[in-house]
Amino acid sequence: MVRGKDSSSAEVHFIGQIVSGSGFSDSQLFCRWSIQTGGAWHHVEGLKEGQTHADCPQLGQAAIWCHPVDVHYTIKGITGWPKLVVQVYSLDGFGRFDICGYGFCNLPSSPGAHSIDCVIWRPTGSLRDEFRQQFVGGGPQLRDPQLVYTSLDRYRIQTTAMGTVHVQISVILRNFARYGIEY
Amino acid sequence: MEGSWKVFIMAAAAAAAGGVPSQQCFLLSVTGQVESARLAGADQLYCRYQLHGGPDWDIVTGLEEGISQVSRPSQDARQLLVWNLPVEVSYKATNPYGWPQLIVSCYGPDLFGNDVIRGYGVSHLPTAAGAHRVTLPLFVPESTSQLQKLVSWFTGRRPELADASSLATGDGRDVMRVRSQGYVTCSFQVVTKDLQRLGYDNGRRAPAGAAGGDLQPAGGGDGRPG
Repeated sequence: MVRGKDSSSAEVHFIGQIVSGSGFSDSQLFCRWSIQTGGAWHHVEGLKEGQTHADCPQLGQAAIWCHPVDVHYTIKGITGWPKLVVQVYSLDGFGRFDICGYGFCNLPSSPGAHSIDCVIWRPTGSLRDEFRQQFVGGGPQLRDPQLVYTSLDRYRIQTTAMGTVHVQISVILRNFARYGIEY
Repeated sequence: MEGSWKVFIMAAAAAAAGGVPSQQCFLLSVTGQVESARLAGADQLYCRYQLHGGPDWDIVTGLEEGISQVSRPSQDARQLLVWNLPVEVSYKATNPYGWPQLIVSCYGPDLFGNDVIRGYGVSHLPTAAGAHRVTLPLFVPESTSQLQKLVSWFTGRRPELADASSLATGDGRDVMRVRSQGYVTCSFQVVTKDLQRLGYDNGRRAPAGAAGGDLQPAGGGDGRPG
Protein backbone atom coordinates (compact mmCIF):
# COMPACT_ATOMS: atom_id res chain seq x y z
CA MET A 1 0.00 0.00 0.00
CA VAL A 2 1.52 3.26 -1.10
CA ARG A 3 0.77 5.91 1.51
CA GLY A 4 2.52 7.98 4.14
CA LYS A 5 3.06 6.06 7.33
CA ASP A 6 1.54 8.91 9.28
CA SER A 7 -2.14 8.12 8.92
CA SER A 8 -3.16 11.31 10.67
CA SER A 9 -2.27 13.78 7.91
CA ALA A 10 -4.98 15.63 6.03
CA GLU A 11 -5.76 13.75 2.83
CA VAL A 12 -7.95 14.36 -0.18
CA HIS A 13 -9.25 11.84 -2.71
CA PHE A 14 -10.74 12.81 -6.07
CA ILE A 15 -12.63 9.91 -7.61
CA GLY A 16 -14.67 10.29 -10.77
CA GLN A 17 -14.73 10.53 -14.53
CA ILE A 18 -14.29 12.93 -17.39
CA VAL A 19 -17.63 11.94 -18.81
CA SER A 20 -18.22 13.71 -22.11
CA GLY A 21 -17.80 16.78 -24.27
CA SER A 22 -20.78 18.46 -25.89
CA GLY A 23 -21.44 21.49 -28.04
CA PHE A 24 -18.44 21.10 -30.32
CA SER A 25 -18.86 21.49 -34.04
CA ASP A 26 -16.34 18.74 -34.81
CA SER A 27 -16.84 15.02 -34.36
CA GLN A 28 -14.09 12.57 -33.35
CA LEU A 29 -12.95 14.40 -30.24
CA PHE A 30 -10.48 13.44 -27.56
CA CYS A 31 -9.31 15.23 -24.47
CA ARG A 32 -5.94 15.64 -22.76
CA TRP A 33 -6.34 16.38 -19.07
CA SER A 34 -4.06 17.16 -16.18
CA ILE A 35 -4.45 18.20 -12.54
CA GLN A 36 -2.46 21.24 -11.35
CA THR A 37 -2.00 21.91 -7.63
CA GLY A 38 -0.21 24.34 -5.40
CA GLY A 39 3.01 23.67 -3.51
CA ALA A 40 1.35 22.49 -0.31
CA TRP A 41 -0.12 19.44 -2.06
CA HIS A 42 1.82 16.19 -2.12
CA HIS A 43 0.74 13.65 -4.73
CA VAL A 44 0.54 10.15 -3.24
CA GLU A 45 -0.98 7.89 -5.86
CA GLY A 46 -3.07 7.93 -9.01
CA LEU A 47 -2.50 9.39 -12.45
CA LYS A 48 -2.36 13.19 -12.54
CA GLU A 49 -2.71 13.42 -16.30
CA GLY A 50 -3.90 11.40 -19.20
CA GLN A 51 -5.53 11.31 -22.57
CA THR A 52 -8.94 9.92 -23.40
CA HIS A 53 -9.89 7.87 -26.41
CA ALA A 54 -11.26 9.59 -29.52
CA ASP A 55 -15.02 9.28 -29.77
CA CYS A 56 -17.24 9.79 -32.78
CA PRO A 57 -20.80 10.15 -31.49
CA GLN A 58 -23.65 8.69 -33.51
CA LEU A 59 -26.94 10.59 -33.61
CA GLY A 60 -25.20 13.88 -32.87
CA GLN A 61 -24.86 13.41 -29.13
CA ALA A 62 -22.03 14.40 -26.84
CA ALA A 63 -18.64 12.76 -27.37
CA ILE A 64 -18.44 10.10 -24.64
CA TRP A 65 -15.11 9.58 -22.91
CA CYS A 66 -15.92 8.17 -19.42
CA HIS A 67 -12.24 8.43 -18.54
CA PRO A 68 -11.56 7.47 -14.88
CA VAL A 69 -9.87 9.98 -12.58
CA ASP A 70 -8.66 8.66 -9.21
CA VAL A 71 -6.04 10.77 -7.41
CA HIS A 72 -4.88 10.82 -3.80
CA TYR A 73 -3.13 13.83 -2.22
CA THR A 74 -1.90 14.72 1.25
CA ILE A 75 -1.85 18.41 2.06
CA LYS A 76 0.15 20.66 4.33
CA GLY A 77 -1.88 23.80 3.65
CA ILE A 78 -5.20 24.75 2.14
CA THR A 79 -3.81 26.97 -0.63
CA GLY A 80 -3.47 25.79 -4.19
CA TRP A 81 -6.61 23.67 -4.38
CA PRO A 82 -6.34 21.53 -7.53
CA LYS A 83 -7.55 22.56 -10.93
CA LEU A 84 -8.45 20.19 -13.74
CA VAL A 85 -6.97 21.53 -16.99
CA VAL A 86 -8.30 20.09 -20.25
CA GLN A 87 -7.37 20.44 -23.88
CA VAL A 88 -9.86 19.13 -26.41
CA TYR A 89 -8.58 17.96 -29.79
CA SER A 90 -10.42 16.83 -32.89
CA LEU A 91 -9.28 14.01 -35.14
CA ASP A 92 -9.94 14.04 -38.86
CA GLY A 93 -10.27 11.20 -41.34
CA PHE A 94 -6.57 11.27 -42.17
CA GLY A 95 -5.49 10.79 -38.57
CA ARG A 96 -4.37 14.38 -38.03
CA PHE A 97 -5.43 16.11 -34.85
CA ASP A 98 -6.07 19.77 -34.28
CA ILE A 99 -6.70 21.73 -31.11
CA CYS A 100 -10.37 22.32 -30.49
CA GLY A 101 -10.15 24.30 -27.30
CA TYR A 102 -8.73 24.79 -23.84
CA GLY A 103 -10.39 25.08 -20.48
CA PHE A 104 -9.98 24.51 -16.78
CA CYS A 105 -12.25 23.98 -13.80
CA ASN A 106 -11.65 23.98 -10.06
CA LEU A 107 -12.07 20.63 -8.40
CA PRO A 108 -14.70 20.76 -5.66
CA SER A 109 -13.61 21.53 -2.13
CA SER A 110 -16.59 19.97 -0.38
CA PRO A 111 -17.06 16.23 0.06
CA GLY A 112 -19.58 14.32 -1.97
CA ALA A 113 -20.48 13.79 -5.60
CA HIS A 114 -20.34 16.80 -7.92
CA SER A 115 -21.16 17.40 -11.57
CA ILE A 116 -18.97 20.08 -13.12
CA ASP A 117 -19.18 21.74 -16.53
CA CYS A 118 -15.88 23.00 -17.85
CA VAL A 119 -16.27 25.71 -20.50
CA ILE A 120 -13.91 25.46 -23.45
CA TRP A 121 -12.51 28.30 -25.57
CA ARG A 122 -10.21 28.49 -28.55
CA PRO A 123 -7.80 31.27 -29.47
CA THR A 124 -8.68 33.01 -32.73
CA GLY A 125 -6.38 34.72 -35.18
CA SER A 126 -7.08 37.24 -37.88
CA LEU A 127 -9.83 36.85 -40.47
CA ARG A 128 -7.29 35.36 -42.85
CA ASP A 129 -6.26 32.79 -40.23
CA GLU A 130 -9.88 31.81 -39.68
CA PHE A 131 -10.44 31.42 -43.39
CA ARG A 132 -7.34 29.27 -43.74
CA GLN A 133 -8.31 27.14 -40.76
CA GLN A 134 -11.69 26.47 -42.29
CA PHE A 135 -10.16 24.91 -45.39
CA VAL A 136 -6.69 23.68 -44.47
CA GLY A 137 -6.86 23.30 -40.69
CA GLY A 138 -4.26 24.21 -38.11
CA GLY A 139 -5.40 27.31 -36.29
CA PRO A 140 -3.56 29.30 -33.60
CA GLN A 141 -2.48 27.41 -30.49
CA LEU A 142 -1.25 28.63 -27.12
CA ARG A 143 2.51 28.73 -26.87
CA ASP A 144 2.41 28.45 -23.09
CA PRO A 145 -0.27 26.03 -21.84
CA GLN A 146 -0.03 27.59 -18.36
CA LEU A 147 -2.12 30.45 -19.66
CA VAL A 148 -5.15 28.18 -19.42
CA TYR A 149 -5.19 28.12 -15.63
CA THR A 150 -3.39 31.39 -14.77
CA SER A 151 -4.57 34.92 -15.27
CA LEU A 152 -1.29 36.46 -16.41
CA ASP A 153 -1.03 37.73 -19.98
CA ARG A 154 -4.62 36.85 -20.78
CA TYR A 155 -5.20 40.33 -22.14
CA ARG A 156 -3.02 39.54 -25.13
CA ILE A 157 -5.26 36.94 -26.74
CA GLN A 158 -8.63 36.85 -28.45
CA THR A 159 -10.75 33.77 -28.10
CA THR A 160 -14.01 32.28 -29.19
CA ALA A 161 -16.24 29.91 -27.25
CA MET A 162 -16.39 26.23 -28.08
CA GLY A 163 -18.31 23.49 -26.28
CA THR A 164 -18.35 22.15 -22.72
CA VAL A 165 -16.59 19.26 -21.03
CA HIS A 166 -18.65 17.45 -18.40
CA VAL A 167 -16.87 16.01 -15.38
CA GLN A 168 -18.24 14.02 -12.45
CA ILE A 169 -16.01 14.02 -9.40
CA SER A 170 -16.56 12.67 -5.90
CA VAL A 171 -14.44 14.20 -3.17
CA ILE A 172 -13.46 12.34 0.00
CA LEU A 173 -11.65 14.32 2.69
CA ARG A 174 -9.78 12.86 5.62
CA ASN A 175 -8.85 14.36 9.00
CA PHE A 176 -9.83 17.90 7.97
CA ALA A 177 -11.70 18.49 11.22
CA ARG A 178 -8.64 17.50 13.23
CA TYR A 179 -6.65 20.31 11.62
CA GLY A 180 -9.42 22.84 12.01
CA ILE A 181 -10.14 23.12 8.29
CA GLU A 182 -13.72 24.18 7.67
CA TYR A 183 -15.36 23.17 4.41
CA MET B 1 -20.67 -21.37 24.94
CA GLU B 2 -22.31 -20.49 21.64
CA GLY B 3 -21.04 -16.92 21.94
CA SER B 4 -17.43 -18.02 22.28
CA TRP B 5 -17.73 -20.18 19.17
CA LYS B 6 -18.95 -17.15 17.23
CA VAL B 7 -16.00 -15.07 18.41
CA PHE B 8 -13.60 -17.85 17.42
CA ILE B 9 -15.07 -18.12 13.90
CA MET B 10 -14.98 -14.36 13.35
CA ALA B 11 -11.39 -14.12 14.51
CA ALA B 12 -10.41 -16.98 12.22
CA ALA B 13 -12.13 -15.30 9.30
CA ALA B 14 -10.37 -12.02 10.01
CA ALA B 15 -7.01 -13.74 10.24
CA ALA B 16 -7.63 -15.59 6.99
CA ALA B 17 -8.75 -12.42 5.24
CA GLY B 18 -5.32 -10.87 5.03
CA GLY B 19 -3.96 -9.91 8.37
CA VAL B 20 -4.79 -6.19 8.32
CA PRO B 21 -6.27 -5.22 11.65
CA SER B 22 -9.95 -4.57 11.21
CA GLN B 23 -9.73 -1.19 12.91
CA GLN B 24 -7.86 0.16 9.85
CA CYS B 25 -10.38 -1.12 7.30
CA PHE B 26 -13.66 0.23 6.17
CA LEU B 27 -16.37 -1.79 4.46
CA LEU B 28 -18.36 -0.97 1.36
CA SER B 29 -21.47 -2.99 0.64
CA VAL B 30 -23.27 -2.47 -2.65
CA THR B 31 -26.57 -4.09 -3.56
CA GLY B 32 -27.70 -3.14 -6.99
CA GLN B 33 -28.70 -4.20 -10.43
CA VAL B 34 -27.94 -3.62 -14.05
CA GLU B 35 -31.47 -2.59 -14.91
CA SER B 36 -31.86 -1.92 -18.57
CA ALA B 37 -30.32 -0.52 -21.71
CA ARG B 38 -31.36 1.60 -24.63
CA LEU B 39 -29.44 1.03 -27.82
CA ALA B 40 -30.88 1.93 -31.22
CA GLY B 41 -30.75 -0.88 -33.74
CA ALA B 42 -30.11 -3.64 -31.21
CA ASP B 43 -32.48 -6.54 -31.63
CA GLN B 44 -31.09 -8.83 -28.94
CA LEU B 45 -28.58 -7.93 -26.28
CA TYR B 46 -26.97 -9.56 -23.28
CA CYS B 47 -24.54 -7.95 -20.93
CA ARG B 48 -21.59 -8.99 -18.83
CA TYR B 49 -20.50 -6.98 -15.81
CA GLN B 50 -17.11 -6.89 -14.10
CA LEU B 51 -16.05 -5.12 -10.94
CA HIS B 52 -12.51 -3.78 -10.74
CA GLY B 53 -11.03 -2.44 -7.51
CA GLY B 54 -7.61 -1.05 -6.68
CA PRO B 55 -4.79 -2.93 -4.92
CA ASP B 56 -6.06 -1.96 -1.47
CA TRP B 57 -9.50 -3.40 -2.04
CA ASP B 58 -10.55 -6.98 -1.31
CA ILE B 59 -13.86 -8.62 -2.01
CA VAL B 60 -15.43 -10.03 1.12
CA THR B 61 -18.61 -11.47 -0.35
CA GLY B 62 -20.22 -11.39 -3.75
CA LEU B 63 -19.24 -12.09 -7.31
CA GLU B 64 -16.84 -10.00 -9.33
CA GLU B 65 -18.39 -10.96 -12.66
CA GLY B 66 -21.74 -11.92 -14.02
CA ILE B 67 -23.58 -12.52 -17.29
CA SER B 68 -27.19 -11.66 -17.93
CA GLN B 69 -29.91 -13.30 -19.97
CA VAL B 70 -30.52 -12.34 -23.60
CA SER B 71 -33.10 -9.60 -23.81
CA ARG B 72 -35.22 -8.22 -26.64
CA PRO B 73 -36.44 -4.62 -26.81
CA SER B 74 -39.92 -3.78 -25.65
CA GLN B 75 -42.61 -3.29 -28.26
CA ASP B 76 -43.56 0.20 -27.13
CA ALA B 77 -42.00 3.56 -27.89
CA ARG B 78 -39.37 3.15 -25.13
CA GLN B 79 -37.55 0.33 -26.97
CA LEU B 80 -36.04 -0.68 -23.65
CA LEU B 81 -33.91 -3.80 -23.19
CA VAL B 82 -34.43 -5.03 -19.63
CA TRP B 83 -31.99 -7.31 -17.81
CA ASN B 84 -32.71 -6.73 -14.11
CA LEU B 85 -29.34 -8.41 -13.37
CA PRO B 86 -28.41 -8.35 -9.65
CA VAL B 87 -25.01 -7.00 -8.65
CA GLU B 88 -24.22 -7.67 -5.00
CA VAL B 89 -20.77 -7.26 -3.57
CA SER B 90 -19.03 -6.28 -0.33
CA TYR B 91 -15.52 -4.89 -0.20
CA LYS B 92 -13.03 -4.41 2.58
CA ALA B 93 -10.50 -1.62 1.97
CA THR B 94 -7.82 0.42 3.68
CA ASN B 95 -7.76 3.31 1.22
CA PRO B 96 -10.37 5.02 -0.96
CA TYR B 97 -7.85 5.09 -3.80
CA GLY B 98 -8.90 2.43 -6.28
CA TRP B 99 -12.60 2.78 -5.48
CA PRO B 100 -14.25 -0.08 -7.39
CA GLN B 101 -15.62 0.48 -10.85
CA LEU B 102 -18.38 -1.36 -12.66
CA ILE B 103 -17.62 -2.25 -16.27
CA VAL B 104 -20.53 -3.39 -18.41
CA SER B 105 -20.00 -5.05 -21.80
CA CYS B 106 -23.03 -5.53 -24.04
CA TYR B 107 -23.02 -8.20 -26.73
CA GLY B 108 -25.52 -9.01 -29.45
CA PRO B 109 -25.75 -10.84 -32.77
CA ASP B 110 -24.84 -9.10 -36.01
CA LEU B 111 -26.50 -9.66 -39.38
CA PHE B 112 -24.88 -13.08 -39.82
CA GLY B 113 -25.60 -14.31 -36.31
CA ASN B 114 -22.12 -13.81 -34.83
CA ASP B 115 -21.87 -12.56 -31.25
CA VAL B 116 -20.25 -9.13 -31.45
CA ILE B 117 -19.55 -6.41 -28.94
CA ARG B 118 -22.15 -3.65 -28.99
CA GLY B 119 -20.85 -1.32 -26.30
CA TYR B 120 -18.80 -0.86 -23.16
CA GLY B 121 -19.78 1.29 -20.23
CA VAL B 122 -17.74 2.09 -17.14
CA SER B 123 -18.52 3.96 -13.94
CA HIS B 124 -17.31 4.13 -10.34
CA LEU B 125 -19.55 2.61 -7.71
CA PRO B 126 -21.17 5.42 -5.70
CA THR B 127 -18.86 6.84 -3.04
CA ALA B 128 -21.58 7.75 -0.57
CA ALA B 129 -24.16 5.64 1.21
CA GLY B 130 -27.70 5.83 -0.05
CA ALA B 131 -29.74 5.06 -3.13
CA HIS B 132 -28.19 5.95 -6.48
CA ARG B 133 -29.20 5.69 -10.09
CA VAL B 134 -26.29 5.67 -12.51
CA THR B 135 -26.35 5.99 -16.29
CA LEU B 136 -23.44 4.47 -18.20
CA PRO B 137 -23.09 5.77 -21.77
CA LEU B 138 -21.96 3.03 -24.14
CA PHE B 139 -19.09 3.17 -26.61
CA VAL B 140 -17.65 0.53 -28.91
CA PRO B 141 -14.14 0.40 -30.47
CA GLU B 142 -13.91 1.25 -34.14
CA SER B 143 -11.75 -0.25 -36.84
CA THR B 144 -8.79 1.85 -37.85
CA SER B 145 -9.48 1.82 -41.59
CA GLN B 146 -12.43 1.44 -43.90
CA LEU B 147 -11.00 -1.79 -45.32
CA GLN B 148 -10.69 -3.34 -41.91
CA LYS B 149 -14.20 -2.21 -41.12
CA LEU B 150 -15.51 -4.04 -44.20
CA VAL B 151 -13.55 -7.18 -43.43
CA SER B 152 -14.71 -7.26 -39.83
CA TRP B 153 -18.30 -6.77 -40.95
CA PHE B 154 -18.06 -9.82 -43.21
CA THR B 155 -16.12 -12.10 -40.89
CA GLY B 156 -18.00 -11.09 -37.74
CA ARG B 157 -14.78 -10.34 -35.87
CA ARG B 158 -15.31 -6.79 -34.70
CA PRO B 159 -12.61 -4.93 -32.78
CA GLU B 160 -13.07 -5.55 -29.07
CA LEU B 161 -11.01 -5.12 -25.93
CA ALA B 162 -8.91 -8.10 -24.89
CA ASP B 163 -9.65 -7.29 -21.25
CA ALA B 164 -12.58 -5.04 -20.51
CA SER B 165 -11.26 -4.23 -17.04
CA SER B 166 -8.48 -2.19 -18.68
CA LEU B 167 -11.16 0.49 -19.06
CA ALA B 168 -10.99 0.98 -15.31
CA THR B 169 -7.36 2.06 -15.29
CA GLY B 170 -7.53 4.52 -18.15
CA ASP B 171 -4.27 3.23 -19.61
CA GLY B 172 -3.96 2.79 -23.32
CA ARG B 173 -7.09 4.75 -24.06
CA ASP B 174 -5.21 7.27 -26.12
CA VAL B 175 -4.79 4.81 -28.97
CA MET B 176 -8.44 3.84 -29.09
CA ARG B 177 -11.02 5.23 -31.45
CA VAL B 178 -14.62 4.56 -30.53
CA ARG B 179 -18.13 5.47 -31.51
CA SER B 180 -20.73 6.01 -28.85
CA GLN B 181 -24.40 5.25 -28.87
CA GLY B 182 -26.92 4.21 -26.27
CA TYR B 183 -26.70 3.82 -22.53
CA VAL B 184 -27.18 1.36 -19.67
CA THR B 185 -29.05 2.26 -16.49
CA CYS B 186 -27.99 0.78 -13.14
CA SER B 187 -29.27 1.36 -9.64
CA PHE B 188 -27.37 0.83 -6.40
CA GLN B 189 -28.07 0.83 -2.70
CA VAL B 190 -24.82 1.56 -0.88
CA VAL B 191 -23.95 1.02 2.77
CA THR B 192 -20.55 1.86 4.24
CA LYS B 193 -19.07 1.03 7.61
CA ASP B 194 -16.27 2.74 9.53
CA LEU B 195 -15.50 5.33 6.88
CA GLN B 196 -16.23 8.14 9.31
CA ARG B 197 -14.52 6.41 12.20
CA LEU B 198 -11.29 6.38 10.17
CA GLY B 199 -11.61 10.11 9.62
CA TYR B 200 -13.05 10.11 6.08
CA ASP B 201 -15.83 12.45 5.04
CA ASN B 202 -17.58 11.58 1.79
CA GLY B 203 -20.43 14.00 2.05
CA ARG B 204 -23.23 11.41 2.15
CA ARG B 205 -25.21 13.73 -0.06
CA ALA B 206 -27.15 13.12 -3.27
CA PRO B 207 -25.24 13.46 -6.54
CA ALA B 208 -25.50 17.05 -7.79
CA GLY B 209 -26.35 16.22 -11.40
CA ALA B 210 -26.73 13.62 -14.14
CA ALA B 211 -24.21 11.74 -16.25
CA GLY B 212 -23.20 13.03 -19.65
CA GLY B 213 -24.04 16.23 -21.51
CA ASP B 214 -27.06 15.43 -23.61
CA LEU B 215 -27.95 12.19 -21.86
CA GLN B 216 -30.24 12.28 -18.87
CA PRO B 217 -30.99 9.24 -16.68
CA ALA B 218 -34.55 8.03 -16.57
CA GLY B 219 -34.92 8.95 -12.89
CA GLY B 220 -33.35 11.66 -10.77
CA GLY B 221 -30.41 10.92 -8.47
CA ASP B 222 -31.62 9.88 -5.06
CA GLY B 223 -29.74 10.09 -1.83
CA ARG B 224 -30.13 10.77 1.79
CA PRO B 225 -31.42 14.23 2.56
CA GLY B 226 -28.53 16.66 3.05
